[in-house]
Amino acid sequence: MQKIHIMFSSRPILLSEVIRNLIERQPDMKVAGEVVDPIELIFALRKTPADVVIITPQKVNGNPRICAQLFKEHPALIILIVTAESRAVYIYQSGSPRKQIESPSERTILDAIRRCLQDESANNNKE
Amino acid sequence: MSKASIRIFIADDNCLLLEGLVTMLGEKEDFIVAGTAPNGLKALEQIKDLRPEVALIDIGMPDKDGLEVIQALHQDSPEVKVIILGLIDLTDEIMACIEAGASGYVLKESSFDHLVETIQSVHRNEAFCSPRMAASLFSRIAELTSAGRTQTSLDSVKLTGRELDVINLIAEGISNKEIARRLFIETQTVKNHVHNILEKLQLHSRFEAVQYARERKLLNKK
Repeated sequence: MQKIHIMFSSRPILLSEVIRNLIERQPDMKVAGEVVDPIELIFALRKTPADVVIITPQKVNGNPRICAQLFKEHPALIILIVTAESRAVYIYQSGSPRKQIESPSERTILDAIRRCLQDESANNNKE
Repeated sequence: MSKASIRIFIADDNCLLLEGLVTMLGEKEDFIVAGTAPNGLKALEQIKDLRPEVALIDIGMPDKDGLEVIQALHQDSPEVKVIILGLIDLTDEIMACIEAGASGYVLKESSFDHLVETIQSVHRNEAFCSPRMAASLFSRIAELTSAGRTQTSLDSVKLTGRELDVINLIAEGISNKEIARRLFIETQTVKNHVHNILEKLQLHSRFEAVQYARERKLLNKK
């Protein structure tokens, strides 16, 4: 089975450990890498490809610049932004408006990742 | 259930962190997660019912912050040991939590293993904190001790009868010249008394001196 490769940039450390543990508990997911500063994702993704990126800023307004930078080089990437301040989770995909996950929880976040990748794979098959 | 299991309650508004901690702490043999809450109000309600041994409380919850939760728990459920989960290493905040009754303070920038060690220590009635936090606390205690010493030495300062006369007249809003006239002394002598009073009390203005005398009920008392 092809695993979903996830790279993340998360602070504080306790949240970062929780995210790593969550991914490692999923049989269909794998941690591709972890960086401290979200800007480092640009360089890390050049070395190690990933399907999904998770970023955990305090808050987010509109489309963060990092998303555009990452989509430029990795248009198929799925970016999840989990904000600590507004307790919201947003999904960004190149060329699509951002989606917000209602009632964010471990389950809804994992389901959203799997659904996005299935949709993407279905679209690729159509093409 | 193991006999030695520690019953824990967790309150945090970050659902991902909350659920993750439930899973990770639940995997530890000596812990049982008795309950969780996404905000301070629910945490207080549930902790009263569930009576956990240790409660992990996020400092920055929206409706009732960690400090308010500790204060309420300290009154209603003093047997529950509270560990605050903080975001920033602020000595004042840590001191406020300790004064309010917290048994521990863990930065979210700490590792999960550190959190586990803190829970175990707090449960054994021991304090456990990082060397950096210990340094902050020592420096704060030193500040408070020094401030206390200064206060004690100021309280032991004795003003002379003539200095008390001067301070009483200053409190009435009278000028140095008028004070000199009323006390049958030179204006320069009044100035010298004011200078001596400020130096003895380590104050900077006549206003502060009057305030000092008023607080210690020295006015109209000779």
